[in-house]
Amino acid sequence: MADKSFFVDTSICSACRGCQVACKQWNKNKAEVTTQRNWGNYQNPPDFTPNTFKLVRFNELEEGNTVKWYFFPDQCRHCIDAPCIEMARGLGSKSISQDAATGAVLFNSKIKVSKADFEEIRSACPYDVPRRNEKTGTMAKCTMCFDRITNGLQPACVKTCPSGAMNFGDRDKMLALANKRLEELKTKYPKAQLLNADTVRTIFLVVDDPQKYHKLAAANGTFDITRLAAIKKMIRPLSNLANWLG
Amino acid sequence: MKISRRNFIKASGVAAAGLGLSQLGFDLSPIESYAAELRIRNAKETTHICCYCSVSCGQIAHVSNGKLINFEGDPDHPISEGALCAKGASLYQLHDNPHRLKKVRYRAPYSAKWKEVSWEWALNKIAANIKKSRDASFMEKNAEGKVVNRTNGIASVGSAALDNEECFIYQQFLRGLGLIWIEHQARI
Repeated sequence: MADKSFFVDTSICSACRGCQVACKQWNKNKAEVTTQRNWGNYQNPPDFTPNTFKLVRFNELEEGNTVKWYFFPDQCRHCIDAPCIEMARGLGSKSISQDAATGAVLFNSKIKVSKADFEEIRSACPYDVPRRNEKTGTMAKCTMCFDRITNGLQPACVKTCPSGAMNFGDRDKMLALANKRLEELKTKYPKAQLLNADTVRTIFLVVDDPQKYHKLAAANGTFDITRLAAIKKMIRPLSNLANWLG
Repeated sequence: MKISRRNFIKASGVAAAGLGLSQLGFDLSPIESYAAELRIRNAKETTHICCYCSVSCGQIAHVSNGKLINFEGDPDHPISEGALCAKGASLYQLHDNPHRLKKVRYRAPYSAKWKEVSWEWALNKIAANIKKSRDASFMEKNAEGKVVNRTNGIASVGSAALDNEECFIYQQFLRGLGLIWIEHQARI
């Protein structure tokens, strides 16, 4: 199976939240008790949780005399070089792994992670995706619908998307599609851009400043690279030792 | 963060153990926990039309051992091509949901509490209320003296769960009562 990627075209996302519900539905995740009424936003729940892997973020901004609404169907990016994996390895935890064929970054649903270790792993993620179930002590996030994609099905969020904003397939095809849409949109939206397309497997296309969608929509370049390098440097002695033992 | 002595030993120990076991043919990949059998693999597929709105998206119901286990969009459906909105995607919960109401509940005027009632009681109550409102608000002639035979005291709003034929019969019933305020969910 080839390297896989998502392409999320936010320019045609209508924020129906079909993806969010389909994700819950397929993964059999429980509903959240939320406080939507008290925070004045259609987004619900306010953030990722151990039961919410996919979250359509809503952001309202006043620009001049109009209100602009930004929709961002957020999820794990399944990074090419995932900092969470490096961090987990550095901590001696086998809780995170990456499927060699598809590139899916997977949290093991059976391996417990201490709260302290989890905080380190969460802080390593430039997109603040990892969550820990306080009751079970295990971590959870988007699985790329690994059981579906390895059986020839589309991920639940992609299959259900009525507008075609969510796409999934071989990485080269998704990159080609992303670049094609980018060229089309650039004529109308000069700020149109792909977010971290070279380093992630969930490629978002936005038509405005990514910060307007969500503060962690795009990874800060320097943060991303320095952090990853620091983690790698830290774990190098361990891998050397592992090689020596092997 | 710093590498503590404990973490260092733990990490190197795990790495060594992993190498040793993998050489013996054990697959220690945590991916195995996800690569389990697809739960809809051997399920019977039945096509279905979403009951919620007038778009009527196609759905597939997966049934395994006589039990409904999954609902998702039907890619072969000419209208929706596999897509479902948030409501359609949640259809499984129409079948399996601890919060779903299974009995008729009634809240009396000015009461703050719901009480369970029988279908028979509820239907009779609705019929009595319709009769009362209709008798009170029925208008045989309008201000100009023209015969109108209408009921201004009742309105009907809904329902998306009704199909074309049911809507036809329902509308005949409403017109028979003299209602003129009739709306369907597809227009709301």
